[in-house]
Amino acid sequence: SLLPSPRPHSFPPPAMDSLISLVGDGFVISAADASNARSVVVMKTDQDKIMHLDEHKLLSMAGEPGDAVYFTEYIQKNIHLYELKNGVVMSTHAVANYARGELAKSLRKRPYSVNLNLAGYDKKVGPSLYFMDYLGTMKKVDFTAQGYASFFVLSTLDRHWHKGMTESDAIALVKKCIDEVRLRFMINQSKFMIKIVDKDGIRVLETGC
Amino acid sequence: HPALPTSSLPPHPTMGESDYSFSLTTFSPSGKLVQIEYALNAVAAGATSLGIKAKNGIVLATEKRISSTLIDESTLHKISLITSNIGMVYSGMGPDSRVLVRKARKAAQAYYRIYKELMPVSQLVREVASVMQEFTQSGGVRPFGVSLLVCGLDDEGPHLYQVDPSGSYFAWKASAIGKNMVNAKTFLEKRYTEGMELEDAIHTAILTLKEGFEGQVTERNIEVGLVGEDRVFRALTPAEIKDYLGEVE
Repeated sequence: SLLPSPRPHSFPPPAMDSLISLVGDGFVISAADASNARSVVVMKTDQDKIMHLDEHKLLSMAGEPGDAVYFTEYIQKNIHLYELKNGVVMSTHAVANYARGELAKSLRKRPYSVNLNLAGYDKKVGPSLYFMDYLGTMKKVDFTAQGYASFFVLSTLDRHWHKGMTESDAIALVKKCIDEVRLRFMINQSKFMIKIVDKDGIRVLETGC
Repeated sequence: HPALPTSSLPPHPTMGESDYSFSLTTFSPSGKLVQIEYALNAVAAGATSLGIKAKNGIVLATEKRISSTLIDESTLHKISLITSNIGMVYSGMGPDSRVLVRKARKAAQAYYRIYKELMPVSQLVREVASVMQEFTQSGGVRPFGVSLLVCGLDDEGPHLYQVDPSGSYFAWKASAIGKNMVNAKTFLEKRYTEGMELEDAIHTAILTLKEGFEGQVTERNIEVGLVGEDRVFRALTPAEIKDYLGEVE
């Protein structure tokens, strides 16, 4: 009777967005569902939830739509400002820490209910992936998922991910994860957008997988 | 007219507030900012400092001008650590330099707090220079009476920058500031070689100081600081300086 009874987390409102990202051999692949739905209404099925911060960084967003776009645009513009001011490209690590710091700062003022996957490629470090949530949690990871999808695909990724996957293997694994979401998640998230970032920049692999 | 209630009148300025809300640094008819010229004079009267950038590091060296044998010179540090990989030395007014050292240290930590990465040397220099410029255009303040030599090794390689009281900054391969700067720079121009090693740079730095030194150079009346490829800036101990002085003889 000393422990509080567990109840579903009601703030922020549960997001329907699904994000899946994983690191491969010299690249990071990011997938995001493309539907924008509120309650029982599907408003859009071609929403791009993966923002390009610069030529070698992808920021995937999940959560409240207003906050998600506002916050990621804020990060994108500040990254751009830094690169203009200082004449150097920011490292993925610096971008991740900067974004996390902004989330943490706003947490006790006006919190942004947005969860992020930051995928980047740096010449010195190679590919890297960072998980961030609305509380200002941040962790460098090999693969991750956000939203309800995470309940289903983290185990798939645990089972099948290994270091140094080839691009074709990684795409196959991402599609396996998407299939799992389609099979097991109650909400229909028919279309997924898949992007990849490597030493040559960003490529959009699929817009409506 | 009915008298205005006193509460609606602007507060009477007390001495030292709005009395000096204008900039004390103003243009002369010839377009010069004489306060900055005079600040440079203060620098030129200060003890000589110099820096040399080698291919694998940078060395800073300075005269410790001790006015009396009674002074405990071991407590006097002109060379300051700003972050683990950035160091700084000044010529001119010591107290002014302390303000800038403090601001530089804070700027570096503020940067680290946001990005969890060491601040690039060029950006730190820009911050410090910006502070110095502010003091040439703000009310009630005077320019800093120091020139700084800032050195550091970051992802872009070794850097040596000079920052002047005006806030202008320059990157150098080797430079000297302070009383003997003209002779020292001439000496450095002759001695500097592209791609010299840090060890050679240390010897050259000490030799350059010796050139203009009044009296005997000892391990107690000069200071040497350096950063190598390990990216750790540190000041040499008197014992280490003594060894180098022995090598240079």
